[in-house]
Amino acid sequence: MSGGGRWNYLVRRLLQAVPVLLAIAVLNFLMLQLAPGDAATVLAGEAGSASPEYMLQLRQQFGLDRPLATQLLFYVKNVLTLNLGFSFRHNMPVLDLIMARLWPTLLLMGVTLVVSVTVGIALGLIAAMRLRSWHDAVISILALVWYATPLFWIGLMLIVVFSLKLGWAPTSGMETVAAFHEGWRRVLDIGHHVVLPAVTLSLFYLALYTRLMRAAVLEQANMEYVTTARAKGLTERRILLTHILRNAVLPVVTMAGVQLGSLLGGAIVVETVFAWPGLGLLAFQSLFARDLNLLMGIFFLSTCLVIAINLAVDLAYTFLDPRIRLA
Amino acid sequence: MILSRLLTAFLLVFAGLLVLPADMASAQKQGGTLVMLVQPEPPTLAAYISTSGPVGQVMSKVYDGLLEYDFNLKPIPGLAESWKILPDGQTISFKLQHGVKFHDGKPLTSADVKFSVLEVLKKFHPRGGITFRDVTDIETPDPHTVVFKLQNPAPYLMMALSGYESPIVPKHLLEGTDIRSNKLATNPIGTGPFKFVEWQRGQHLRLDRNPDYWRKGRPYLDRIVARFVADSATRTAAMEKGEAHIGGFGAIPYSDVKTLAKLPHLAFTTRGYEMSSPHVELDFNTRRPPFDNEKARQAVAYAVNKTFVIENIWFGFGKPATGPISSNFAVTGLYTPEVKSYTVPNGLEMANRLLDEAGLRRGANGLRAEIVHDMTPYGEEWRRFGEYVQQVLGELGIKASLRYEDVPTWLKRVYTDYDFQLTNNWIQTLADPVIGVHRLYHSKSIRPGTVFVNSNRWSSPRTDQLMDQATIEPNPVKRAALYKEFQQIVVEAVPVFWVHELQFATVYNKQFKDLIVSPLGIFASFDRAYIDK
Repeated sequence: MSGGGRWNYLVRRLLQAVPVLLAIAVLNFLMLQLAPGDAATVLAGEAGSASPEYMLQLRQQFGLDRPLATQLLFYVKNVLTLNLGFSFRHNMPVLDLIMARLWPTLLLMGVTLVVSVTVGIALGLIAAMRLRSWHDAVISILALVWYATPLFWIGLMLIVVFSLKLGWAPTSGMETVAAFHEGWRRVLDIGHHVVLPAVTLSLFYLALYTRLMRAAVLEQANMEYVTTARAKGLTERRILLTHILRNAVLPVVTMAGVQLGSLLGGAIVVETVFAWPGLGLLAFQSLFARDLNLLMGIFFLSTCLVIAINLAVDLAYTFLDPRIRLA
Repeated sequence: MILSRLLTAFLLVFAGLLVLPADMASAQKQGGTLVMLVQPEPPTLAAYISTSGPVGQVMSKVYDGLLEYDFNLKPIPGLAESWKILPDGQTISFKLQHGVKFHDGKPLTSADVKFSVLEVLKKFHPRGGITFRDVTDIETPDPHTVVFKLQNPAPYLMMALSGYESPIVPKHLLEGTDIRSNKLATNPIGTGPFKFVEWQRGQHLRLDRNPDYWRKGRPYLDRIVARFVADSATRTAAMEKGEAHIGGFGAIPYSDVKTLAKLPHLAFTTRGYEMSSPHVELDFNTRRPPFDNEKARQAVAYAVNKTFVIENIWFGFGKPATGPISSNFAVTGLYTPEVKSYTVPNGLEMANRLLDEAGLRRGANGLRAEIVHDMTPYGEEWRRFGEYVQQVLGELGIKASLRYEDVPTWLKRVYTDYDFQLTNNWIQTLADPVIGVHRLYHSKSIRPGTVFVNSNRWSSPRTDQLMDQATIEPNPVKRAALYKEFQQIVVEAVPVFWVHELQFATVYNKQFKDLIVSPLGIFASFDRAYIDK
């Protein structure tokens, strides 16, 4: 496929994304209206008391006293101009709030993705190569256990073992807050903090990729091209690394692409347990606070993210497997 | 093989990061940094607009009030070094401390106090409208004198002037702006012992020592960091490991408090909540069957065993309640134990008889009625409490199904739609009955859409009158008599069943001293707290 073809394809896909985004935004808005109670109720509820005048003031300030249609129109207009609006609860523009939380999320997601895909591929490969040996048995059982164990439980157990008993890692947070490190010490400190949450989140996905990889390698190993390669006199190692691996990795990449979106959801649990300041936790909290502007902002961003990732995965296929064409 | 090498490299990097010393920061902690668990994260730092617990917990270190309080609930000097109440109770004059500066260097004057009370608190604070409703004007004859002019005596006013309840804010930053959207809400500037430095949302908030604090030599700590950790088990772990030093107001689950306190470096206290005085209650909807009948309500009151609830559901953190006013007010004389008691040996028998009298006879299947019992969405205790009440009602022949929703849904159900029959609840009765109690029983407080007011919708002309009189009665003895009659009537009618006075537990690291030194507890300024090395 030529570079020009890819370019046209990209532009077309991006244009198609616009109506999808808009439809999702309207749907988000309407669905969130179904939740009983509003941001003013929650704020007053947290305050423990409020006068009726105070509640009225809040609703006027938040624009909650306006008719639903007006609110929707206002929101759509904002989305079209890429203005994500204002969070009255936080007294800050939604975009600022999201941006502050974006990079911890990306850090956690990135580390998790790299670790789970690489380790998952490696473990799956080992299990398939040593089929029915003890290696295979151990890896398969571990994968099953990791996949089946709830994330929050793994997280808490890691805290108990590695933080409380062994004292190797901090229990929670992204930085040692009392210290306020700067420069490289800060980087190191954040690296130290990311280990446990990233391991927790990785174990789940890693288990999945291991099983997927093992199955894919076994399937590819029986293909005719492998027999041909063997007949050519290639070493087993070369067959595995240059022929089987490349083909077997496709389903894993597909899965990883699809799951990147769900990583945001799985991250909520891990972010809660480890007090990681990411987007998932922010979304979760804004739902209970009925901070709808912020929630819709996060949804909007997630939608963009998922569309972009799907596009990236589709493009990645063509590099991994030249037989696949974009249409 | 490349792959296994890659794998090894990864494991090595991770292992390397793991074995970094976990307490790298300890060298800096020696300077005196207190890490405080705050749960949940405050939505704003505008303590003059929100009375939400976490906001107060953080901002009480940044903003001062005119007064502070001792454990007898008596006012002691804060920003006001002295004060005088004229005999008619309608003029209160305060002398301000000298040399008080806001964190931006501007001096505090009587004009700031006037502006804070009349233009900010009275207009925008959730409770300020009630607290300052009788304040018609404030005179400022000189920069250090403030004179409150009241249209009626307001005995409760002197209880509501702490830095937590009524923070004094800088006029020069707020005047002529939209108070609600002013950036002071996220960049607070007060006169308190600690200055706001930064707020990393989702992580922490940093306060540094104010070197120009008006109490010379204080505060002792260099820094206070508030940490936000959403998971309760992780908060417990952080306390255990010494990453956090104090957690109160429910930050540490009751089930963990005593376990933690057994560790050599930790301890707990239940003091420091005397000005919030929370009650655990069962709220009846008195306008819906079956609890529109006083006898049906009394039956539930007889059947529920307060001690059982305290010991088994709240891990012993509570004291049986007797009525609408907390026994914490015994020191001010406003509390009376001389009310009808529902704690009797034959409670179930009494309850069954009352239900029969109420016309709720057992049907062929042994059932008298079916109800839905709502549970307030503030944690696991409330579910267990709900399950207990479900059992008790079952013994009485009332079949209760349980309902647990999220906070906004529950608030709307109970305080806007009144679509409930029985809900458990907790209410802070605050520093004076006028502020914390009247709202729950006065007929004027039946206001749909306003939370934590009279949602049981019971009232009587006599109790309204008693509350109205007590609001403006300056003589403490006469005031106490009014409240005594009030408590007796309300307990007889039992629109709410007061199960117990909830005790919050504050868990703290023992290397810190003088953390809890007033009835405001973790909502006080911490200017005296220090590290004992």
